[in-house]
Amino acid sequence: MAELKPPDTRRCRYFFLYDGSKVRGEGDPTRDGICYFYPEETPVDKQDLLCGQLAGVGRCVSELSSSAVRILRLRRCKFAIRIKDDFFWALGCSMELPTVSVCELLDHLINLFCFYNGSVRQSYQFNSKETLAAEWARYLSHVLSGPSELHYILQSVRTLDLTNVDPLLLLKAALILQACQRCPLVLAGCVLFRGRVVSTQMPPQLTIKVMVHESETFTKTQRSSGTSTPPSDGGLVSSTAVFLTPSELQYLQSAPVDKISSSYSAPEKDTPPKKTRLSRTLSDTPSSESTPSRPASCQSPQRASFSPCTSGSEDSVFSPAPSQGSSADSPNPSPLSPIRRFSNGGNADQAEEGTLDESHHHSLHSDGGGVSQMPSEGDGSAFEESLHLNGGAASETTDCGNAASRDEKTVCCRKAKGHKAETRQPPSGSCSFDSLEESPLVPMALYVHRVNSLVLALLVDPRFMGDSASMEEVNHSSLASLNGLEAHLRTVSPVAPDAAGAYLFAHYDSIQSTLTTNVSGRPGGVPEHPFVRATSLLHSHFFDTETLQEAIIRNAGTAVYGTRSVAQETYFQQHWGTMRNSGIPNQQDSAFSLPSKARHRLLKHGVKLL
Amino acid sequence: MKCLLIASESAEVLFHWSDREYRQSIQEKYGVSQEEGEGLPAFEDILSTLFAPIIISCSTLEDSYTSFTTENNHIYVLHQFDECLYIAVNGDGEEKEDDLRRKLYVLKKMVEVMFGMVTLSGNLLRKELRPQDTEQRARLWKYLQSLLDTYSLLRENDQSFLVEAVERLIHPQLCELCIEFLERRLVQQLNSSVERAGEEVLHAFVLVHTKLLAFYSSRNASILTPSDLLALIVMAQNMYPSNVDLDDMSPEVSNGLTSGSGPETFYTPEPSPSSRSSSTGRGETPVFQFVDPEIQMAEDSLHTLEINPPDPASPRRVFLEVLHKDGLYPMMPHSMYCLSLWPGITLVLLTKISSSALAISVYKYLEDFDKLEKRLHEGHGGPASARSPLNMQDIRSKMDKFIKSLEPHDLQLQNVWAEFKSRAFSRAGSGFNKDLIPWCKNMKTQLCGIYRQCFLTDSLSADVTHRLSAGLQERAQAMVREKLVDWKDFLLVKSKRNITMDFPGLVHFICVDRATGQMIAPSLSIAERTTSELGKGPVANYIKNKVWALVRTTRRYLQKGYSTVTLRDGDFYFCYFLWFENETGYKLQPVDIPVLADDSPPIGMLAYDYYSRLLKYYNKNHKGENVKCYELLTVHLGVIPTEIILQHCRQLASKLWEPSRNPLL
Repeated sequence: MAELKPPDTRRCRYFFLYDGSKVRGEGDPTRDGICYFYPEETPVDKQDLLCGQLAGVGRCVSELSSSAVRILRLRRCKFAIRIKDDFFWALGCSMELPTVSVCELLDHLINLFCFYNGSVRQSYQFNSKETLAAEWARYLSHVLSGPSELHYILQSVRTLDLTNVDPLLLLKAALILQACQRCPLVLAGCVLFRGRVVSTQMPPQLTIKVMVHESETFTKTQRSSGTSTPPSDGGLVSSTAVFLTPSELQYLQSAPVDKISSSYSAPEKDTPPKKTRLSRTLSDTPSSESTPSRPASCQSPQRASFSPCTSGSEDSVFSPAPSQGSSADSPNPSPLSPIRRFSNGGNADQAEEGTLDESHHHSLHSDGGGVSQMPSEGDGSAFEESLHLNGGAASETTDCGNAASRDEKTVCCRKAKGHKAETRQPPSGSCSFDSLEESPLVPMALYVHRVNSLVLALLVDPRFMGDSASMEEVNHSSLASLNGLEAHLRTVSPVAPDAAGAYLFAHYDSIQSTLTTNVSGRPGGVPEHPFVRATSLLHSHFFDTETLQEAIIRNAGTAVYGTRSVAQETYFQQHWGTMRNSGIPNQQDSAFSLPSKARHRLLKHGVKLL
Repeated sequence: MKCLLIASESAEVLFHWSDREYRQSIQEKYGVSQEEGEGLPAFEDILSTLFAPIIISCSTLEDSYTSFTTENNHIYVLHQFDECLYIAVNGDGEEKEDDLRRKLYVLKKMVEVMFGMVTLSGNLLRKELRPQDTEQRARLWKYLQSLLDTYSLLRENDQSFLVEAVERLIHPQLCELCIEFLERRLVQQLNSSVERAGEEVLHAFVLVHTKLLAFYSSRNASILTPSDLLALIVMAQNMYPSNVDLDDMSPEVSNGLTSGSGPETFYTPEPSPSSRSSSTGRGETPVFQFVDPEIQMAEDSLHTLEINPPDPASPRRVFLEVLHKDGLYPMMPHSMYCLSLWPGITLVLLTKISSSALAISVYKYLEDFDKLEKRLHEGHGGPASARSPLNMQDIRSKMDKFIKSLEPHDLQLQNVWAEFKSRAFSRAGSGFNKDLIPWCKNMKTQLCGIYRQCFLTDSLSADVTHRLSAGLQERAQAMVREKLVDWKDFLLVKSKRNITMDFPGLVHFICVDRATGQMIAPSLSIAERTTSELGKGPVANYIKNKVWALVRTTRRYLQKGYSTVTLRDGDFYFCYFLWFENETGYKLQPVDIPVLADDSPPIGMLAYDYYSRLLKYYNKNHKGENVKCYELLTVHLGVIPTEIILQHCRQLASKLWEPSRNPLL
């Protein structure tokens, strides 16, 4: 379901946007500069005080250091700050949230605004403060509506519980997207069901942005209809204007092949935060990850046999997925066959049998491949084969993309160089901040086709909405499949997340931005959950120390194990009755058996730890 | 790019310390906004102008700032101590937030050791820190700056200042011999001499560089807390810098030191044949040759101060915590005599001064007025009044007597007290209500003033009659020299290779006894010339940096309540354990360690004794037991199996502090 609830005040204390250009003269009241202030019921005097003081001190510090202030800490509240020209954003959160996460939340918030409204300055030129205040409130409530504390620490795309869904359905969703892409005005899309991703062709950050609109229209339609009965067989089609950053656009326009290769030499320019470390390590140690247990990070082994196609398409941005041409031409898509052959793929030995070129592709790709859960890619020949199959179509749609995309690599593992320096500087290096870059935003449209709880969202060229032929074509090619898919997905009973029983875990795939966990997000749950607290600390530590691989921390009551690789972070806590240990080093101490326990226990969640 | 400043609420700079890079960057910033051709004002005035918006904003917000970080990773840490705002800045990435906060607290500690209870009055402290007389101000600031330099150098290079515990020289026989000598010969002789002029030696100890060879306290002396002892070692190091680690550093590093650096020029070490090496210390490095003319001038004016150094035999006044039968008295006046035996080996004598009983009275009255003020704030029935009832009549009569006994009579105090009495006790007065609060404050200020007058006046150093005579000091020096002369070279070598280890795969460890504030660790010398356990040069340096980072990390976890931490980081495996034992070595159950805020005082023992508070907290559940607290940090090669690593840790933990108290070698 699209969970939209009011922002949790425990997590977010304040958010404001202050426009310094409105308060130039001595006599100008501070409130003229306040574009938006959350919580809105805050007394005006207090708003004035906070905005005035924070913006003033922020400016002073920025001048002293010749660099914009990024974090401002008070005793009981920490603020992530963004300064762009005269605009001053501040997001104040509770001290428990890791600083890096607060920075990410703020950047995400600003990026969301820019995605739906375009440039901030222009928005404020053409719209009233009140209108835009409603917009900020919208994005804020979305950003802060995560189901649990963990979702703030590890910001993730919410996906369907894939272990519970017939892989063929996922394949079907992927094929729908590919079919739509045959229209040259369609850039990329995603299929969502009840506010969760079924399949997406977009990078995680973009998918998250698209989902905001979806979840809102979803709540609206639910409210208006009052019931869950389908409004009509044809579903609802709507569209809204959106804005892409040049890097996002470039990425989407590049051919799948380029996306793959480019992910290894991505310049630091377009840098979504968490990927940085990963790609750097990828390129530094290309062989470290090519072990047999690499693939399938959060899916059941049973699914893995099919996942080549499903995940391939689901994450087609990251993979040489079967392209639209081939898949559409054959009802029984040929990509399936190679995939079946390599159903227990991911075997490095197999890959090494390939030609030099292939194995090169392989080793490169397998690093990411483990991440994007594509066993098939473990084998170079599968990759090659699917390339052959799709070759024509791919070059057709993106004939201009190849050359351009090579220097504008904005891909899944964005960022490679310059990372070392950045990790030393967590706050600044941590957050992508595309929307405020100098380059102008590119207007696009978001086309949304809803069939009950199922949504097809496509990023399209603005001309698409006026091009009835194209719309007809897309509608025609997808409608029947959408209805079918919806009917099937509806029958899938939502499984309750694993009850937190003998242990707690959280597994974060930082390439796909997905989080698997059995920590329940019950509202009113214990806020100071020891596991979440430990995860928060460890996550910050992993972020700050790039060489850190694993850690066990324990106090009198709990011991938590954290481990991370290039593509994932895993946290694990075992419940014990009482711990009988004085804290002195002791081999029998149960805390030190956590790594093996985690390896063993998490297998059934599809998490393979080395 | 480092800076530290103390500012008053009105943005007046009460003290500052910065390195050359920071001064240059600030002067450039200021210069841009100034007219051409105008000379730059004093650096403290520039700082005051540039930092004013921050300082003023601090007093405007209800919730105070604790830190700022900029995109280029400049870190600002702020802390308000009473009426003074302390700000530390780092722009070169060498210090983290925790380091900066620690530095603020260390400066605060040093100010307390130097000024004692005068720090309790914002007004008086302001005057004390920023004397009107510019020459005096320059001298004071230079001294404080050099203390900070010495501290920073020690914190960056000395493991005992990394973990903030005193390191003993591990040689039980020699140590015992030396203690016996201090007790039976030295202290006895000093305290029975007529030349001691009313002073009484309470503590005597011998330092080999920063390591403690022997420590003796006379029977009627209170325990010297680890915090005070560490602070005194910083001061002793500041007087006689050991250049062991300095020699190891490349010239660039030592050139980068702040302008305030340089040894305490007032004290010249006794020339001795082997002191030639010491003359290459950082004081002699031509630090200022590239500095721009303005600074050069300032420095020149400072040099004039050094022409007339104070009498080398004059002690330094220090204010230390004293535990009496009837309670704990912080900041009691002592005199500190620091006598160099040889370069690197120092004898320190701490004496009780004749008038120290007065300090106890002043402290008691200060406490009374403080309690009264709190009660008046709360009104009747507040928690404070319930907890500690005040007998105002009793205080009144005692205070009357106290004022009469003061020699010479202090008119101002008398007047304020008379005014207080008429308001509080007479019928016409307003009685005990909020109107009395300003008078409480005023009384406190007056009391601090008395204290200042008695223990802090500048005439102190000129006062030859109230200190151990120069002859007596020389004799003490000669006696200990004679005793240790055969051991001298051994001690200097031993201080660099204090303890060795024989666990394959173990790279380094540090073990700390937090109840006594002592630590042991193999040396981590990064010198090219000296070879430590880790070899030399870059590898040792790399591991040193890892150890420093590890201590920072584990403190962070401890702050959040985690007492066991293991980390696999690169090619190493790190462990940290904190546990409690009773006196017989029985391992006690762990308790949930309090979770502290991010801006809580730094975890350590020098500036703020976290561990004594932790022990108190633990003791609540173990009444009557003498609880001990230990910490162990280890660095292993990552390839060693975890079981073996834990076995090593286990062995280290149980062997290092065996009942004999003599750590295993």
